[in-house]
Amino acid sequence: MPYFRSFPTSVRVCLVFLAVLSLACVLGPWLIRFDPHRPDWDFLSTAPSFLSGHWFGTDAIGRDILARTLAGGRLSLTIGVLSSILALALGVSIGAIAGYAGGWTERVIVRLLDVMSALPFLLIVILLLSLFGRSMFLLLAAIGAYVWIDLARVMRSEAARLREAPFVLASIAAGARFDQVLRWHLLPNLMPIAWVYLGLILPQAILVESFLGFLGLSVDEPSASWGSLLYEGAQEMDSAPWSLIFPAFFLVATLASFQFLGDSLRDWLDVRKEDSR
Amino acid sequence: MTPVFSVENLQVHLAKQSEPLLGPLSLQCAQSECLGLVGESGSGKSLTALSLLGLLPPGLQSSGHLQFFGEDIVFNSPRHLALLGHAIAWMPQDASAALHPLRTVGDQLCESIKVLQKIPAGEAKKAALHLFAQLELPEPEQLQHRYPHQLSGGQRQRVLLAIALAGKPKILIADEPTSALDPRLAREALELLDSLRRKLQLAILLISHDLPLLGAYAQRVTVLQHGKVVETGSVEQIFRDARHPYTRELLAAEHLSAPAAHVIGASILQVDQLSIRYPRAKTNAVDQAQFDLKRGECLVVLGESGSGKSSLGRACLRLIKHGVHGSVKLDGEDILQASRQRLRLLRRRMGVVFQDPAASLNPRRKIVDIIGEPLCIQTNMNAVQRRTRASELLRQVGMDDSALDRYRHQFSGGQQQRIAIARALAMSPDILLCDEAVSALDAHHRSEIVSLLGDIVQKRGLALVFITHDLACAKALADQVLVMDKGRILEQGSATNIWQHAQHPVTRALIAARPHAAS
Repeated sequence: MPYFRSFPTSVRVCLVFLAVLSLACVLGPWLIRFDPHRPDWDFLSTAPSFLSGHWFGTDAIGRDILARTLAGGRLSLTIGVLSSILALALGVSIGAIAGYAGGWTERVIVRLLDVMSALPFLLIVILLLSLFGRSMFLLLAAIGAYVWIDLARVMRSEAARLREAPFVLASIAAGARFDQVLRWHLLPNLMPIAWVYLGLILPQAILVESFLGFLGLSVDEPSASWGSLLYEGAQEMDSAPWSLIFPAFFLVATLASFQFLGDSLRDWLDVRKEDSR
Repeated sequence: MTPVFSVENLQVHLAKQSEPLLGPLSLQCAQSECLGLVGESGSGKSLTALSLLGLLPPGLQSSGHLQFFGEDIVFNSPRHLALLGHAIAWMPQDASAALHPLRTVGDQLCESIKVLQKIPAGEAKKAALHLFAQLELPEPEQLQHRYPHQLSGGQRQRVLLAIALAGKPKILIADEPTSALDPRLAREALELLDSLRRKLQLAILLISHDLPLLGAYAQRVTVLQHGKVVETGSVEQIFRDARHPYTRELLAAEHLSAPAAHVIGASILQVDQLSIRYPRAKTNAVDQAQFDLKRGECLVVLGESGSGKSSLGRACLRLIKHGVHGSVKLDGEDILQASRQRLRLLRRRMGVVFQDPAASLNPRRKIVDIIGEPLCIQTNMNAVQRRTRASELLRQVGMDDSALDRYRHQFSGGQQQRIAIARALAMSPDILLCDEAVSALDAHHRSEIVSLLGDIVQKRGLALVFITHDLACAKALADQVLVMDKGRILEQGSATNIWQHAQHPVTRALIAARPHAAS
């Protein structure tokens, strides 16, 4: 792992944390002997203790907080990753088309993006979810649609720059079709930037999901996401503070790690840009 | 005469590295003398200037024996930095980057005068006007209230010179003062510098990559290569018998061989009444252009930047979408009216090479894919066949197979341009269009590429459209010349005719723009 060693310590800590956390979320059901949905009637609202086996304690109806946190993380991370990928696909393709086509196509798309970012998007998401019910697919689409706009803007300006690049002109002068220019020149030069943006989009998507979860719009009981766990925890804040503290800690640490990685990636990209000038 | 400044054994080190980036190097310059420092990009010219100024970026250390006016100076000591502006001034390379965009030029000059001469604002303003007038800037009264972007490139350069002279220095270090300017403006700027040298008894260290140009204005020249002095001597001596092969190479750039006799065939490209007007522009970028190109012929389109010559070239390739009127006929078929399918076929017969070799190669594709791109678009060749063809093309432009699997950043500018030419030749086109294809290159790469293009025209009998502002290159290739200014064609005709009997004053100025050392 020669690359990993060349990273600064802070980046390495974030990477290790995220790796361990995702692994734990995926393997949670096999690692922990408690079912996140089944109450343990002997231990209602128990404080964290090694003796009882409930390391993070239990909630008011005796469900294990550790099991629930990992189950919630699984859902939050899955929704975050899937909707980010959706946003990535949407942002790159629409941005690249707008930037490369230029002319009225570009103007229309840019105006649409302006309109979309002017709308109180969360309000609309909440409205949609309460009208059509809570489905996983709708949730993904809503979050994806919320976070793709900035990416599309960046991709547009980058594609517009590439449109004028001599190597693209040379390709057109040789008779290349749009799909060939897209495949050979636009995508290979856009994707590195898009990957960096993924680092910024991911925490945003997770945060939006948690927010919806906190409002009770994410997933139905007894399933849990970090957002819904925070809501439940907030209800029992006085009697069982641990049921709020642990999910909150994991959410904050995850968001901070992603944010930090995204920033480092962006700095790294800026340096590269300056080098090539 | 004692030198105004001298430096012996100048070396620049990167901290903790034993091998010096620059030097050892010795320079000296007497009062009202112009010392030329010449070399290609990366040869250490700017490092020399920055270390003399004590302005090296952190991490770099200079050592050596430095003297100003006979006084020993320690590098980067407070005494050294105190001399800046007062005794020794710097004129940076890029005038548009060196001036503050949001302050008027008068303001910027006044500030320097106030700080350096320690006089009140009112007097500084008078001194600024005087300085502007001395530098032959038109209407100083109005000019001082303008912002940098409202001035022309030549005027900005003069403002920068005025700021450099604000502290009445005795030594001026001018780093590539003309490389951003057109030949005519460059000559004017250097002549002004020359007259200032006499009038103010300035010692000038003039840095440039253009040896023939330096020869006309410097008294002595030092040639640098890879951070080492290759040769130093008086201008007469260097031009008469340069000892080092590298110096001769730099000089040879000026003496490009005369065009070989091209075998000229039937007419292939007819451009008629071609006008271009960009959206929202008030005037035509190209106005009523008209020419007729024959097989085996080289047409040089000569003009300064902004004359519309590149637009003309791009329109001929149908790379401009809107605002093009007229006709461009390839063997009688109009490119501008062709359907999409026809256009694709017509594009086989035209190759193009652009100015910036690095920008014209996709950084994320291998050379074999870059050269194979036209083949991929236009033929059904498989990967193996494309590879064979690409290596064949590389050999034709003087490179070999080892380039195939590498990326563009592993090549020098000259090699990158060869790769771009190989790509343009992939489909064996009838017409090759070179848009300022050599102006981003160093002197000796330039002459290599020009002679390569000459060879290609001769061997393949294709028609070459060579767009340039550089007269030396134009002379080395042209059969036919077309001179453009502000979108209009001023003159066109056979090369010998234009070189010898140019009618239009602008043409004559262009032809005279390049100073010769002999004069």
